Amino acid sequence: MPRIGVYICHCGENIAGAVNVEEVRKYAEKLPGVVLARNYLFMCSDPGQELIKQDIKNGLIDRVVVAACTPRTHEPIFRKAVEDGGLNKYLLEMANIRDQDSWPHWQDKERATAKAKKLVASAVAKAAFLEPLEDRFVEVTRASLVVGGGVAGMFAALDLANMGYKVYLVEKSPSVGGNMAKLDKTFPTNDCSACILTPIMVQVGTHPNIELLTYSEVESVEGSVGNFKVKVRKKQTYIDWDKCTGCGDCVNACPAKVPNEFNEGMDNRKAIYIEFPQAVPKRAVVDIEHCLNCAKRIIGTQPRTHSKTGEPILAPCEKACKTGACDRSRAYNPEGEIVELNVGTIIVAAGYKVMDKAPFKEYSPQSPNVITAMQLERILSATGPTEGQLKRPSDGEKPKTIAFISCVGSRDKRYHTYCSKVCCMYMLKEARLIKEKYPHIDIYIFFIDVRTGGKDFEEYYNYCRDLGIKMLRGRVGAVDELPGDRLRVRAYDVDLGAPVELEADLVVLATAIEPAPDLEELGRKLGITCGSEGFMKELHTKLYPVETSVKGIYIAGCTQGPKDIPESVSQARAASSAAAVPLTLGKVIVEPLISEVNQRKCTGCGTCVQLCPYSAISLVEDKGRLRSKIDEALCAGCGVCAAACPSGVITLHGFTNAQIHAQIKALAC
Amino acid sequence: MSSDQVATGVINLSEGDSSLANEIKELGGEELMECIQCAKCAAACPMVLAGFPFFNKRIIQAIFLGLRDALLDDSSIWACQSCNRCTEVCPREVNPFEIIQAMRRVAIREFALPTLSIEGLKSLYDTGHAVYLAGAGNTRAKVGLPEKPPSTVANPEALKELQAVIRKTALADLGIIPMDESGVKETCEV
Repeated sequence: MPRIGVYICHCGENIAGAVNVEEVRKYAEKLPGVVLARNYLFMCSDPGQELIKQDIKNGLIDRVVVAACTPRTHEPIFRKAVEDGGLNKYLLEMANIRDQDSWPHWQDKERATAKAKKLVASAVAKAAFLEPLEDRFVEVTRASLVVGGGVAGMFAALDLANMGYKVYLVEKSPSVGGNMAKLDKTFPTNDCSACILTPIMVQVGTHPNIELLTYSEVESVEGSVGNFKVKVRKKQTYIDWDKCTGCGDCVNACPAKVPNEFNEGMDNRKAIYIEFPQAVPKRAVVDIEHCLNCAKRIIGTQPRTHSKTGEPILAPCEKACKTGACDRSRAYNPEGEIVELNVGTIIVAAGYKVMDKAPFKEYSPQSPNVITAMQLERILSATGPTEGQLKRPSDGEKPKTIAFISCVGSRDKRYHTYCSKVCCMYMLKEARLIKEKYPHIDIYIFFIDVRTGGKDFEEYYNYCRDLGIKMLRGRVGAVDELPGDRLRVRAYDVDLGAPVELEADLVVLATAIEPAPDLEELGRKLGITCGSEGFMKELHTKLYPVETSVKGIYIAGCTQGPKDIPESVSQARAASSAAAVPLTLGKVIVEPLISEVNQRKCTGCGTCVQLCPYSAISLVEDKGRLRSKIDEALCAGCGVCAAACPSGVITLHGFTNAQIHAQIKALAC
Repeated sequence: MSSDQVATGVINLSEGDSSLANEIKELGGEELMECIQCAKCAAACPMVLAGFPFFNKRIIQAIFLGLRDALLDDSSIWACQSCNRCTEVCPREVNPFEIIQAMRRVAIREFALPTLSIEGLKSLYDTGHAVYLAGAGNTRAKVGLPEKPPSTVANPEALKELQAVIRKTALADLGIIPMDESGVKETCEV
């Protein structure tokens, strides 16, 4: 007969505030198999754990049930205590009477107590059937994958590479740099963004341990911590990057005009283009959708010959290319190329997207002089469409009055309920850069709350106000187009208690920070959930901010939520150190809570093979018959196969049929 | 733009006078830009309770936006009782009372001051007292006090000095009150 010890945690007031712990303890004491039941203020504390250890050491118990908070954070702690006491650590069962009981039923103590009893009873019932299990160890592939080549991804990659590990850095654009490469200056120190970022980009491009895969996207991810198998699609560039030197001759020759993404659509690029002058790698890409196929030079066909000279008729880009990198006769595969990588850990730093102005009809988005802050950033940048000259889009005139509108799409239930966090600071920064250069330009910032929390940020705000930038509390209600390319901004000044209006030459919308496009899809490939706002969820907000629910996958930067550069870099470096731990250890513990097939009894129906989300099951021949076999390294212990097996010959260790049935039965009675 | 308009009409910020803030800073409101409109001063201000449209916080915001005419058309700035509670409670050391004073200086430059102020100033010049009633001597005598208080009124030399000082101030340039060197007067003429 198993001798079960039950330990009920008060969790301070967290549990004891709603559950009558002593009543539950008395009830637990009488459950079958239970030899003792104790309660304690904080079971996870040292004295709390000591209770368990001593009872095991004194030979009183050989199974442990802890009724406390979430196993997600606390199961490892209690397993360790059980092990230290001298028992197999899998002889522990937890009942979550906090998240599943005291928290949701806070108002109804009686029923919360009744539910706690049920949860404890079901855990005790399962505990009676627990079996000792042994941990397994898996060798770790000492390489890492970083998804996203913005400032966060680059720092994560560099840190791991500097530790000596191989890093694959996958970036969907032709060049690394991300959104930061588009910025003019960066708060709170007003460093020139390019001046501090491009050396980092060069380091990433030249680091011997970093394999840069730009213009590439993650196709699929399989496996688990220590052994991820990743397929990456290198998109087709239609240029031989081994030969391309980034000279730009082809770009100059190309006649096609396409809105330039890097300049936020405010000027045109060519159909063959280099993303921006400081790109790393500096290589050309053909935007095949917009390519005009000059001289009927369709990719993969031979050139026509000139009727008189007999020379082949080439496209301007081909003709201009001195290295032969631009060869349109080559039959490029439009699907690109799939590269397979084996890595031990993955860091996701997929960045963000700035919201477009189009949805905000009340702010006259059709006016060329209503722009997003990112567009203003490009106007202010020396590499931008106006080479850093402050010109408004409609007529190239220098604006005399500029109005900034904050929280456009942020703190707005119709779009994004969250605060985008960086807008207050970037508006102040842009206003300051303009005001310092042109003191006579009138600048108004319409805000709801000024949020300048951060090291040196409040000082920045004070400085900006001292420059004479006018701050008005009150969300702008309307921006109307007036004759003469003027714009009328209408708001209510809360501080004055009066409606106000302003004629401005340029209106800048501080649009929201959004999750990167396709982030949810990337999350699905990786098995990471995105929150209601679309950003990837960390394992625990406070304690595990860079970890995800998938072991071995970490997140950094705006993938997790809006962040500024200092925060993104800090989190990236935190993620890289977390991702280095399995690589350094060389092996990871794999919980034995995985499925096993009784091959002797398997009928080989293949149901489990179809259902396994981890492709861990295959049919193998055994004595002339096909029988299913589970790859221990790939099994994640989800239990789908065990639940579906028509013959009932798959056992999920830690969740056997006997255990689950006992648990359900206890709940039902 | 009058105070009524501030209460009901739309304020056109484009017509704001952006030089007003600098003028205020020059005339004693040096810490103007420190104000972040937290409204702590307004919470302590008797003008708010008395229902004046422009009290410390709103005066400062109106200055930020350059609403010169709105402030001059309204009598609020003259209603401040100089209790200085705003200055004591201000967490940003803005010194709101000094800003109101500076705004009064702006107003005086533009002759936008109430008649009562002119009378007070004239009395100050003539007697050394902003308020000095004609019958004050009798009243004082009744309670056994000398007819004139031991101040400038009773001291022609001191009054001359005071008048000399006042003639050196901006008040003389403005010409709001006559400043003859007539010597000590018994009472103010008004």
